[in-house]
Amino acid sequence: MSGARDSDTTALARYMTRRTGDGLARNTSRRPGTWRAVGRNVGIPILSIVLLVLVWEWIVVGFHIAPYIAPRPMQAYEAVRGDWVTLWPLVLATLRETIYGYVSGALLGVFLGVVMAKVPFLQRMVYPLLVLSQAVPIIALAAPLVLILGFSVVPIVIIVAWIVFFPVTVNVLDGLSHVDQDLLNLARVYGASRWRTFVQIEIPATTTPLFSGLKIGATYAVTGAIIGELVASNGSSLALYQEHANSNLNTAAVYGTTILMTIIGISWFLLVVGAEILATPWQRRSVARRAWRRRRETALTTAQVEN
Amino acid sequence: MTDNVLLELRDVGKVFAETVALSPTSLAIEEGSFVAIVGPSGCGKSTLFNVIAGLLRPDSGEVRLAGEPVTGATGHVGYMLQKDLLVPWRTVEDNITMAARLTRRVTAEDRAEARRVAVQYGLGDFLRHYPSALSGGMRQRVAFMRTLVTHQRLLLLDEPFGALDAQTRLEMQQWLLQVWRDTGRTVLFITHDVDESIFLSDRILVMSPRPGRVVADLANPLPRPRDIATLTDPLFNGLKSRIMGLLHGVAT
Repeated sequence: MSGARDSDTTALARYMTRRTGDGLARNTSRRPGTWRAVGRNVGIPILSIVLLVLVWEWIVVGFHIAPYIAPRPMQAYEAVRGDWVTLWPLVLATLRETIYGYVSGALLGVFLGVVMAKVPFLQRMVYPLLVLSQAVPIIALAAPLVLILGFSVVPIVIIVAWIVFFPVTVNVLDGLSHVDQDLLNLARVYGASRWRTFVQIEIPATTTPLFSGLKIGATYAVTGAIIGELVASNGSSLALYQEHANSNLNTAAVYGTTILMTIIGISWFLLVVGAEILATPWQRRSVARRAWRRRRETALTTAQVEN
Repeated sequence: MTDNVLLELRDVGKVFAETVALSPTSLAIEEGSFVAIVGPSGCGKSTLFNVIAGLLRPDSGEVRLAGEPVTGATGHVGYMLQKDLLVPWRTVEDNITMAARLTRRVTAEDRAEARRVAVQYGLGDFLRHYPSALSGGMRQRVAFMRTLVTHQRLLLLDEPFGALDAQTRLEMQQWLLQVWRDTGRTVLFITHDVDESIFLSDRILVMSPRPGRVVADLANPLPRPRDIATLTDPLFNGLKSRIMGLLHGVAT
């Protein structure tokens, strides 16, 4: 979310610069005040999380809440640190499920979005089924999946993919259906084939909606993995660990595990935001950073000419 | 008809849902000439353009380019609209080579040409910029360079400067005339701005709506090269009042 807002403000800043300028474009590769922007975009979110933890501390201490009802932040931290040897492999397992499910869900989502955008008949056929798939409560879905596939990582991965593909499909479909018709006409006038138009125009034009879908999917992916673990994991998992802690009234461990899950979720989201930043340099730069691929191509062509 | 005809339309007509967008029209455009088409909205000028570009198939008639029938076929003209249609994810250089990228592999020669054209026409310092960093006038210039490097002999320009402020527009018009002189292309230029049509062209087709048709085909006697002084030339004013009369139904 913060990524999207950031690019909006960047575009706005650009727009204002262009308006107030004298018709000359800015010749700077970097916006002035980059460090201040980093401070604003990273410092303030961190500050708000610190504040959240402080409020938590004040509430628990101020209202004299018993540790088994709600622990203080430090107690939750200690609970996680004290059993880190057990927790770390579980964190890795959750991450693995998230990665497998997310990647397959995202790929499926892109595939369905493209197919539906290109074949209107399939769009009418498949769209209702997709909506249906999301209306099914995910918990209700988990039980039959376990019956069919057994207690293993497979139903967990399927649950994650099930949650992730939908926002990706919807956004890709939406993006592909809203590519500027004049731009597509221009490609036609040039004599471009449908394939080249798709690769050179439609796909890149869909980058922004694609990443919207991927970011929404990222926020839900870890939640999906935890739900899956709760129902389908064989023996040990982060979700079962938490359930166990809960039944032992080890509330500090419950809170600690929740925080751990949240951190996994945020990291995953940030990873996708990072990928978006790398994939869309034009949204925050006015000059292309470098053109290594072109230089190599030029070098190759020159070499061929010289031979 | 001389041998010099590049584009020929024979009885080209188009009807949309019982509205005659373009009543059967015949035209011959000479190679190397600059022809302006002026008319109010709904007069069929964009329909005419889309038929020539091959985006629309006419209901009747035939389009010939350099003697070859091209009715309903694409890939034979340069084409530019009021919207610059630069893709935001490509640099200026890569936007200029877009036509090549859409039809084949972009070669080192394509890139060298894009750089050469950009340098020659004042955008050499912006080759690696993204379009979002450019002003409206610069973006239109990039769009025009992109049209130029398609090496099509016929360029269709549909109100390319319509979205620019008056000052920038005048600069762009002079720039366009310079490029046109340098390259010897044939230009069909749609506009609703009468001054613009006179300032730029050798010949002016005046169109009228309901049904869309060409009502006058006027030679432009103004000498070249043209500059700001042209805009106050008596010949300019005479031609302008004639066109205004045709457009607004006032006899002159």
